[in-house]
Order: sequence, then structure tokens, then C-alpha cells
Amino acid sequence: MRRFGMALAIVAAVSGSVVTPQTAYAAQSSHDTNVYTQPAVPMGPKVQSLDCHGTTGGMGCGPGWFWRDGWRGWACYPC
Amino acid sequence: MAGGFAAAAVLTMSGFGYAAAQPGDFSTLPVDPNLITDSLAYNAAPAVFNPNGQPGVETVYTHRDGSRTITTTVLVLPDAGAATAALDGARAGLAAQVANGNSQPAAVGSGGTMLTGMSPDGSKAVTVLSFAEGNTATTIEFAGAPKDPVPSDLVLELGRKQDTAIRDWQAS
Repeated sequence: MRRFGMALAIVAAVSGSVVTPQTAYAAQSSHDTNVYTQPAVPMGPKVQSLDCHGTTGGMGCGPGWFWRDGWRGWACYPC
Repeated sequence: MAGGFAAAAVLTMSGFGYAAAQPGDFSTLPVDPNLITDSLAYNAAPAVFNPNGQPGVETVYTHRDGSRTITTTVLVLPDAGAATAALDGARAGLAAQVANGNSQPAAVGSGGTMLTGMSPDGSKAVTVLSFAEGNTATTIEFAGAPKDPVPSDLVLELGRKQDTAIRDWQAS
């Protein structure tokens, strides 16, 4: 019986610490001075395409260009 | 397509003698597309003089990988009117030989026009630049893989160089 009483007291103490702030928020709905921040969303892998091969460009073509044998012969062509 | 061009020219040429055409060596007329490439991209076939009986020259340039061709045909006609008429006839013929063709003016020579489309069987992307310069009528046909049409800037660049070469030839 004594143990049950202690356990009940602990549960009451914990639940009180959780419930009390919610009750406080409800009471401050018209004058809320707290600053809320949007939780940061974990960012996944970020892919930035630079050229057809995902590098800085073959033969110095640069991003968005591809070195191949086309209408102008060997030259940089858009991807 | 050069055949259609020549056929149109035949009609235009009726009643004129070839002696009225500007004399000279036509072999220097076609501009080698390697002038605007890496200098080795195209191999020229032997020039065909007076194609289909018309005074002028036709040269076919084939890309070293075999997937692209540039066919330049320059006809030397009796006068500017004949050249313009030949171009009109040629364009009428090209319209039937280029599927889904889109024609637009091109700032090359006189009455420059660029026709872009597909070959009738859909196996090639085709672009034909045609223009007149004095008594000459020129067509430059670009043919490549369906997903590899010739860039329009290359068409205009080669066309302008060809136009300049014709004017230099006429002035010589």
C-alpha cells in the first residue's frame, strides 16, 4: 500500500509538470509573447547538376556543356 | 532534294543558253564547312559540276562519323530573275520532300529561307537553307539523326560564308 501510494505520487508529479504548461498556454492565448520557430527539416542529399557528367565539365566546357563530336566537330555542346 | 532544285531550275532555264551563265571555275564556289568546325569534321566528296545539266556545282560533305551530311548546291543562272525563280521552284519541291516542315526567313543573301523538318521516312532531321545572290541560286541541305538536328546558328554561319564566297567569286 505504501509503495502504491508513492507510485501514485510520482505519476501525479510528472503528469502535473506536463499538463501545467498547456494550461498556461490556454490562459495566455490573447497575449502570447513567446517566439515560436519552425522545426528544422532534416535535409537529404542535395544534387546540383553541373554538366552531363556531374563534374565541372570535360575539356573546360563548363557547367551545362558537354564535349562531343557534333555538327561543329569536337566542341562543347549544350547538354 | 537537290534533284527538285535542279528540276525547278530546268524550267527556269528553258529559253536561255548556258553561254549566258557567268564563266569561271565553279570548283571554288562551295564553302568547306570545316572552316567553321574543328577543321577536320567533314570529308568532301568530289564536286559534281553542272548537276542535272544545270551550270553550277554540288558538293557533299560527310561528317567523319557518317551521321551528318551537308550538301551545297550553287547554280549559276543567266540573271537574278532566273535565280529567284529557280529558288521559288526549288522551295515548292522541298515542301513536298520535307515532312512537318517549318519555313522561316533567314538573313542570308537575297530571299534567304530556312526550312526545317524531317525526311519523309522520318529517318533524318533535315534543314535546308536557300538563298539567291545575283544570278546564283544556292541551297545548303543539312541532314542528321532525328534527334540531332543541325543548330540554326551553324546554318546561318555557313550560309553567310557561302554568300560571301559567291559575291567574291562574282566580283573576280
